[in-house]
Formats: sequence, C-alpha cells, structure tokens
Amino acid sequence: MLELKRTLDAKGHGVLEMPSGTGKTISLLSLIVAYQRAFPLEVTKLIYCSRTVPEIEKVVEELRKLMEFYTKETGESNNFLALALSSRKNLCIHPEVSSLRFGKEVDGKCHSLTASYVRAQHHSNPNLPVCRFYEEFDSVGRQVPLPAGIYNLDDLKAFGRRKGWCPYYLARYSILHANIVVYSYHYLLDPKIADLVSKELAKKSVVVFDEAHNIDNVCIDSMSVNITRRTLDRCQTNVDTLQNTIHKIKETDAAKLREEYRRLVEGLKEANVARETDIYLANPVLPDEILQEAVPGSIRTAEHFVGFMRRFLEYLKSRLRVQHVVQESAPQFLKDIFEKVCIDRKPLRFCAERLQSLLRTLEIADIADFSAVTLISNFATLVSTYSQGFTIIIEPFEDRTPTIANPVLHFSCMDPSIAIKPVFQRFQSVVITSGTLSPLDIYPRILDFRPVTMASFTMTLARTCLCPLIVGRGNDQVALSSKFETREDFAVIRNYGNLLLEMSAIVPDGIVAFFTSYVYMENIVASWYEQGILENIQRNKLIFIETQDAAETSMALEKYQEACENGRGAILLSVARGKVSEGIDFVHHYGRAVIMFGVPYVYTQSRILKARLEYLRDQFQIRENDFLTFDAMRHAAQCVGRAIRGKTDYGLMIFADKRYARADKRGKLPRWIQEHINDGSLNLTVDEAVQLSKHFLRQMAQPFRQEDQLGLSLLTLEQLESEEMLQKITQIAHQT
Amino acid sequence: MTSLSEEVLLVVKKVRQKKQDGTLYLMAERIAWGPEGKDRFTVSHLYADIRCQKISPDGKAKVQLQLVLHTGESTTFHFANESTALKDREAAKELLQQLLPKFKKKANKELEEKNRMLQEDPVLFQLYKDLVVSQVISAEEFWANRSGGINNTDPSPYNNKQEVGISGAFLADIRPQTDGCNGLRYNLTADIIESIFRTYPAVKQKYSENVPHNLTEKEFWTRFFQSHYFHRDRINTGTQDIFSECAKQDEKGLKTLVTQGVKNPLVDLQSLEDKTLDEGYGICTTQPSTSNANKSVKDSSNSAIIKRFNHHSAMVLAAGSRRGELASDQASETSSTDGNSRDSDFFQPPVKKVKLQEAIEFEDLQRENRPKTVPLNLKKSDRYAHGPVPLQSQQYTTSQDIINSVNYIRHEMASYKPSLTQVLSSTAATSAIAALSPGGVLMQGGAQQAINQMVPTEVQGELKHLYVAAGELLRHFWSCFPVNTLFLEEKVIKMKSNLERFQMTKLHPFKEKIQRQYLSTNVSF
Repeated sequence: MLELKRTLDAKGHGVLEMPSGTGKTISLLSLIVAYQRAFPLEVTKLIYCSRTVPEIEKVVEELRKLMEFYTKETGESNNFLALALSSRKNLCIHPEVSSLRFGKEVDGKCHSLTASYVRAQHHSNPNLPVCRFYEEFDSVGRQVPLPAGIYNLDDLKAFGRRKGWCPYYLARYSILHANIVVYSYHYLLDPKIADLVSKELAKKSVVVFDEAHNIDNVCIDSMSVNITRRTLDRCQTNVDTLQNTIHKIKETDAAKLREEYRRLVEGLKEANVARETDIYLANPVLPDEILQEAVPGSIRTAEHFVGFMRRFLEYLKSRLRVQHVVQESAPQFLKDIFEKVCIDRKPLRFCAERLQSLLRTLEIADIADFSAVTLISNFATLVSTYSQGFTIIIEPFEDRTPTIANPVLHFSCMDPSIAIKPVFQRFQSVVITSGTLSPLDIYPRILDFRPVTMASFTMTLARTCLCPLIVGRGNDQVALSSKFETREDFAVIRNYGNLLLEMSAIVPDGIVAFFTSYVYMENIVASWYEQGILENIQRNKLIFIETQDAAETSMALEKYQEACENGRGAILLSVARGKVSEGIDFVHHYGRAVIMFGVPYVYTQSRILKARLEYLRDQFQIRENDFLTFDAMRHAAQCVGRAIRGKTDYGLMIFADKRYARADKRGKLPRWIQEHINDGSLNLTVDEAVQLSKHFLRQMAQPFRQEDQLGLSLLTLEQLESEEMLQKITQIAHQT
Repeated sequence: MTSLSEEVLLVVKKVRQKKQDGTLYLMAERIAWGPEGKDRFTVSHLYADIRCQKISPDGKAKVQLQLVLHTGESTTFHFANESTALKDREAAKELLQQLLPKFKKKANKELEEKNRMLQEDPVLFQLYKDLVVSQVISAEEFWANRSGGINNTDPSPYNNKQEVGISGAFLADIRPQTDGCNGLRYNLTADIIESIFRTYPAVKQKYSENVPHNLTEKEFWTRFFQSHYFHRDRINTGTQDIFSECAKQDEKGLKTLVTQGVKNPLVDLQSLEDKTLDEGYGICTTQPSTSNANKSVKDSSNSAIIKRFNHHSAMVLAAGSRRGELASDQASETSSTDGNSRDSDFFQPPVKKVKLQEAIEFEDLQRENRPKTVPLNLKKSDRYAHGPVPLQSQQYTTSQDIINSVNYIRHEMASYKPSLTQVLSSTAATSAIAALSPGGVLMQGGAQQAINQMVPTEVQGELKHLYVAAGELLRHFWSCFPVNTLFLEEKVIKMKSNLERFQMTKLHPFKEKIQRQYLSTNVSF
C-alpha cells in the first residue's frame, strides 16, 4: 500500500512482487479506488489488465465485494462504473453467433452482421441479415450511459439481453467513461487490438498489469510476424480478389475510388491531429512520421497499390525459396528489396494504412478472409519502420525434419519495449505486479522504463505453510538433473520416477508434476511405463497427463479435480510453460505438492531466441546466461507457486534438480519462496525429502483456526490500530 | 442319515477330518462329513455359513481343503485317497466354488446387515449384550422385532453405503509371471475381472457377445492379454483382433468426453485465453506438425500411452462414481452424460459464480459464524442443573413464592415489635436453634446433594443400561397386545417369563448392590 501510494503520488511507474493469495488484487483495487475517490481529478480511471478470462472475472468479483463494503460502511452507494471487457466470444448474445466455438469465427460472423456497409445495404434490402442487438444498441444505446455499478461479463450479458443491446459494443463504448476497466492485457499491448479498443482511454489513468511475469513475451508476440508459404498463397488469392473487386467497382462506382484517392492525398491528417491533441494511444504500427505525410503517389490509386502488393509478394516468395538459413536485419532486408524489385522504404511504411483504407472502400464483408494480406502489409510497415529491435530469419526447413521443405520467414521482435512504450508514455502510472517477478531489476531493463518503486513483499505467516525442498540426488546418490547430457540417462529417469512414486504414497489428494518440455515428458512417461513405475504409482493415485490438445487437457484437468475431490487422489503430469502452468490454480487439496522435474530452460537452439539473446546483450547489457536463468526460474517459480494460493493453503514445493541448490538459481526465486529454503533442504536425497515432507504434512494437517492467526497474520481492527502493531508494520516495510 | 431327502451332489470317500477317516458329502444346501461306519454327520455346515475355502498348495504332501466359517472357525478336510486325492479335492473345490457364491449373497447380506447395525448403533449393541448374550431372549427374537421395525421405519440410511471404487492399478496387479517355457501366466481373480468390466464396458460387451458361443472364457482372456488393447504402447496392427473394436469405441468415448467440454470454466483451457493472437503473429514455437508422416513410431506410441493413461484414469474414476448397474453399458452412460452437456449451458453461470466465489473468498477473513444450535428450552432449569434430587425436597417453592415470603419477612421484620410477654422459653429457643443449625433436624434438606454427585458414574451407567433393557423388554411385551392370536398369547407368556427372568437376573442383583452400598438412599424399583 505504502509503495503503491508513493507510486501514485509521484505519477510514476512501479514494480511490485507479492505472493499470490495474499490479497494482491484487493489491496491494489482498494487503494486505487480510494485514491480515485479522494482525488477524482488526478486519477480518472483504473485500467486493470489481467491474463485469463477467469482471472478477469475474479478481479471484478473482488471489486464488487469492495464496493459492497463501501456501501455498507458509508451507507451510500457510490456512482462508480466498473466493467469487464472481453472478446466477442465471451460477450456475444446473438443466438447464432454465440453458438460458434472459436473466437475467430465469432469475430468474423459478427463483423459480417455489423459492418457499416452491410447495415447500409440492409436499408435497401431488408432481407439481408443484421444483428438486431447491434442495431438496437446503435440506435439508442449510446445516448444513455451505462448506469453505475459493477458489471462482470455475465452481468453485461444479462443487461444486454434485458435491453436488447449488444453487450460487446456496449462494453467497448462504456470503457470510455467507466471508472474501472478490467480486461486482458492484449487489449493494451497488442497494437492491432489496442488501436480499436483502447486508444481513446484517458491519459490520467492508472494501469495495472497483474500476473505480469510474462509481459515481455506478450509484447514480443504481439509484434512478431511469421510468414509461411501458405500465408503467401492465401495472400495471393486475397490480392486477386482485391483486383477483381476493384475492376468491378470501377465499372459501377468509380466515384468511390476517386473519393478514396482524394482522401489519401489529404493524408492521414485526421489521425495526426488526434495524436497531437493527445486523444489517442499511440500505435506502434503507425509511426509518428508517416502521419505528417500523405500516402505516397506510387500506391495512391487502388490498382497501383494492388500491383505494388503483388510485387512485394513475389519478392517474399523468392526469398522463401532459399536453401539455407538466412538471418538479416531490417535495413539489410530493405536494401535487398530495393535492389531486387525497386521497392522503396517509404511506400512500404504506408502499406498497412493503405490496405485498411482500401478494404473500407471496397466494402469487404469478412475481414477474417483477408487476414493474410493484412499480415503481409503489417509486416511491410513494421520492417520499414523499425531499423532496430527486429530480426528477420528465414528457415527453409524445420530443424528436426531437414528433409521436408517448409520455409518460414520469422520477423521477430526482440525488444519488448517497443510494444509497451506507448503505454508507459501515455498513462501516468503503470504498475506491474505478479507473484513471481524476481529478480525485480530485470523487468525495468527489458521493458525500458524507469520505475519509481520496486518492491518485493513476502507473506506474514502464522505457520510455515510452504515447504520448498531441493532434491539433488536419488537414493543411489545419482545426481538428479534434466540437463542435456543426462537427459536420456536411465538412472536419472528411474530416480525421478522413484521420487514421484514415494511422494504419491505420502501426499494426500493432488500432486502436480511439471516437466521442462513436452517432448521430455513424453519420453519420461514412456520409460516409466516400460519400467512399471507408473503402474506402481497407479496403486496410490490416478494419473492424468497434459496433452498438446487443449480440449483433451481440459478434460483431464477436470477429471483430476474430480479425483482430488472425491478423495481418491490424483497426479497431474504437466509441462512448464504449458497452458496448465500458466493459467490454472491448484488451491488446497488440488495441489498438496508440486514437483518440478528439472530446470525449465527454453529451447536454446532456436535461432529466434539466439537473436534475442544477442540483442539483449548488445542493447541492455544483460548476459545471455543471466537471462536464460532468469527466464527458467520465473517459470519454475510460476509452476510451484500454483499450489499456494493463500495463508490457509499449504503445499510442498519440490525442486528436483541439483542445479537449484546453486546460489545463482536459488537467488532468482521470489523472496517469499527463498526465505523458506534453509541449508538443510538444499541437496536432499529422495528418502530425506520424503522424511521431511512426511513431517511437514503431518504438521500441516492439524486444524488451523482463526485464533491461531490472530495477531500474526490476521489482525482485528483494534490490533491494527494499536501502536505496537503499527511499529511492527513500519519495521517490516523498512526491510523491504 | 438325517436328511436323506436332500439331494447329494458329490460324495467323496476317504476324507479325513481330525485324524478320522470318513466321507464328505456335498449336498444342495450344505456340506457334511460323517465318520466311517456311522450314519450320522459329525460335521455339517450350511453353505451360507461358509465364508471361504482354502486349499493347500499343489506341492504339499497333504492334500487338504479348509473351510472358513463366518464365525471364524474353520474345518479342515484331508483327502487321503492316495491315487485320486488331488482329483477328489479339485472336484470338491470346483463344486464348492460354484455353490458358495450363490449362498454367500443371501447369508452375507443378513449377517452383514445385523453386524453393521450393531456396529453403527452402540445403544443397540449394549442392548444386544444385555438381552441376548445374557440369554434373556434369543437372538432370533431380538432381531425379529428389531429388523422389522427398522426396515419399516427408515431403511434408507442403511442402504446408501459407500460403494467401493476400483483400484487404479488393477491392471498392474495382474503381473505376468513367466512360467519358464517361453510363456506368460496371468493371474485373474473375480475381482480383477469385475474391475475390468466396470472400467471398460466395451470389454464386457465383447465378453457377453463372444463367451461362451465363440470362445471359452480362457481363450477370451488370453486374447485380451495378447491384444494391443491391453498393451497400450503397441500400435494397432491386425484388424482380426476382436478388441480393435473396443479400442475404437474407447477412442470414440474419449472424443465425446472431450467434445462435451468441461463444466468448470476455471479449468477450461480453451476459453482461458481472452484474445488469441491471429494466425501468423507471434513467436512461432516450432510446433510439431500434426501429419503422421514425420512422426516417428516411437513418438506416436508415446502419445498413445499418454492418451490411454488419461482415458484409463477417467474410466476408473467414472466407474467409481457410477451407480450400480449403470456401469453395464456404455451406450446409456454416454447418452446420459450427453444430456448433461446439453444442460450445462443453462447451468453454467451458477457453476461459474460458485467457482468464482470460492476462488476469491478467504475463510479466515470471514466473520466467524458458529454452527447454529437449537436453544435448550427448559421449564425447570434448576432441575436440569442439579439432576434428580432425593424425594424429600419434592415440595417445590416457586421463585415467586420465595420472593413473596422474603418480602413478607422483611415487612414483618420492619414492623417487628418484641412483645416480651409472649417470648419462648429458653429451652424451646435452644432446641429451635439446634434444629436450625447445620446438622439439625430441620436443616437436612439444606445439605441436599444431587443424586448424580452421590452415585458413582458406573452405577449410573448400569442403571441406564438396565433402564434401556427393561424398556426394550417391555416394548416386546406390550407389542403383543391386544392378544388375539395363539402366537401372540404364547409370546406374551414368554415375555412375561422373560421379564421375570430379567428382574431376577439383572434388577435384583443391582438393587441389592445398591442397597448394600448406599443404605441411606431410598431405592425402589
């Protein structure tokens, strides 16, 4: 709270690490809401970004509680408007559209019903289907703002049903005047979406990125482009369609094209004015410079632009025909393209804007169909705009299958700060927080910002409810490690199996085990099966395994929880960096122990990663090894942190790799885990670990009452106000 | 012979029991053994009484068969005919194997029921000890009344016993043993077969289709163990395998499970991500292409194992939670779950709400709400506090009376004027003081002790038991009225004698004991 207040006062940015389940969300919410109430002119809006849909909904529910508390204490209902925003898939109430399973389908279908020209055509031809919810919203929804209150996704849907308005567009419209907006951080970080959704959000907002330990990857992902042969083929058909449509339109409605041309001559003035007056969030795909200029003449007419795209496409095709791996920087690429097909840098930069304009003019119904050509044009703009921070890698085949030609052009972003820069620049306070952000100083470096506060908090516990153990050896003294040299070693695999078997016998309910990669897990499972270890484990618990198929894994997960629920107990074998490790919590009996088999390093042979490491070294002076270890440890911490979601929860954290005992690895774990690792639990054998866990579990199984926590980790109001406690709190605060 | 009318199924001669030669008879309802030369059975067990049979290992010199009864006793038969001993024993064993299960269910049910009732209800157990074990009434009588009553009133709590699930490792328990000559032996027990059937309904279906028309039981299981179906890591090769269909069915079942999706939105990985990156964006983590061409055989076998483990665990779990016979056919099972999935759309919001609430709530931060109790409504709280008091203090004064009298006395005292002419004589005064001081005649009631303090707890306990037992007997007695049948009349007479016997054996000794120890108290039964 103190640190947060300081950050808000200074109107700066902050990095806060707080263990999960200690009320991170609620303290952030309550302070910022209080701040908003106290200084309504200083902070007008809270933008709370989280990672997954359930987390977003959780935040809103907590907010609802907070507001209920306000009404109870103050006796008056405050007129806060808070709402969650999610994709159409989660908000659509149109009976046909919402029954579609995939987000992309929903988006496409929605677009085909709500696009402006579709609706225009509907006026002349009433048989053309439109979405009645959108029509209703469009005609009356904007006039009256959404009444104050807390709207979760379901509340929005219910409200939409009642009024007959489209909840998605209602939410998108309402975030502009809402006091609190909760949504996924893609809506701010991904330039494609941010441009649509978030660009008009007020400057005096506080932005919170929760669960932000992976934020750099999100940034990078949103700016990177992959082009395969299939993309190019689809792009080719797109361009052909464009050409045909232009021809058709020329015959029937040439005025429209002329009108577009006129607009382009005037340039992107409008956008420029908007940006200068600081209404919009900057779009990294749309760099400042091009706003000053008109679209260059060479691509101003529609035919010329299509021809230009064709040339660009041919060039890309020729590049994909290489036989060996090529890596080059953006300037090199531009030079080459100029030499080969005489494409200048300037028109390339306008590519994305020009295409958008054309698509609008041509009244293309389904934007989803044109994703390929949009992708290519975005690539063109990016590659010509940024001379640094990106790299181009062309791989003619996959590493594992050198015989099959499958050329891919990776245009990969290496600098996460590019995508997040507008956010830091625009909003007065950005708070980055998560349960696992250690080591703290690396985030400001890779995201390139200067935080006012950086703090890592630990849990105040009435009992040590987490028990991190580092198992470095098997019972036969074989060193346990997942490092590459011993990966296939039977002794290691057997000892890993032994560890799981022993644990399955003593840990109640659920155990989650994480492997470093999917392939590694597959191999280990197979050899455990051959050695009969799995069968022995089955005597104690049921086994569920994460697969690469999300639906199958969801089913396995549900069954796993069911098995934990009914007392049979189960083991979930899962993969670090997988979906399970990122989004699923294993509270209480769903995860009494987490076993981390090995250190989850990324696949270091990937060229993209190598390029990124080089870039980090050159630009930010971060050593390759430091970054790799940091990355591995944050994932390991993420995995083991899944089991502890609060003070009443308890769980074992077993790090099964001798490398964890080293100071450089251990030191990169979050403080709240680190402080419970003592020298006695550093390099254990399987047997020793079993003994320690038995002891721990027996202690934890004792009833844990509220009174035990009172005064320690739970304070009554009187205790909180007492002098002594205040002193203690300031003391703790000074330590951090 | 006592029961010639019984059908004799098997006669085995030269069977020794307790070092005595004799003949073993297996009849329709019981097994009996008579010593040689005598025409009556010295050993006779109803099949219903037998818990199990045990046989001596093959290698042993003595060929024996042991019967273990439910009571825990056992009887051992020694097959002594040198040449055919083994064969005899096998024959007897086989027959018993067929017969015992038939009776087992019937007998066990009753016995177990009674046993459980006694175990679950300590009062009943005590009663049973008081009445049956001390032979006041016979066990049949006890149960006759009891079980009827209980079954009539409320049979449900006894029926919802927890079903036993299936061990996750039942397939692992059938550890193949090499028999030395290039073969494998699998030991299958009825339990394991049951487990297989419950977990894999498809196999059960195959079994009922093929056995015994096409295959013998043994062949069926041999094929089962040979099939790729059993060996999860092997890839399907032959199509002549009868189990390939099972595998397909499983695959289908798994698929339907997957397509049904999950009901708990917090674990649905598909809808977790809010906004997926469009195709073509993002750091492409080299995804192994899905085509099988470039996948090595090992890889696909590995993923087959993983799939099968998930499926196996799911099936085991489902088998455990399925109710009784529902396990029989997969068709009904899938259809029923299908119905659920259709409903799930309607139910989803509440489920989601509950799960979300769970996720954000912290128990320890809640206001403590104590379990609600029913306030005890006492008419006379002093009686509750002190327990029954001896008879003398029976004249109660209500508090209002006391207050009134106190007021009255106070009033009297205030307006008290000593009239010295009418004072007591000094002797009368001293005697009055003596009577009012502690230990005096009038102060006896003041030092009253509650009975519960005077009487030690064991005596109280005994009294309680006697009270309950007497109540039970009286219940039996009064249940006979009105006496309108001969049977009831007999019963009344019997109950009367029972009651008398109870008085003689239980009450009188207790009364005497009490009198001996606590002469002062006025005990009357």
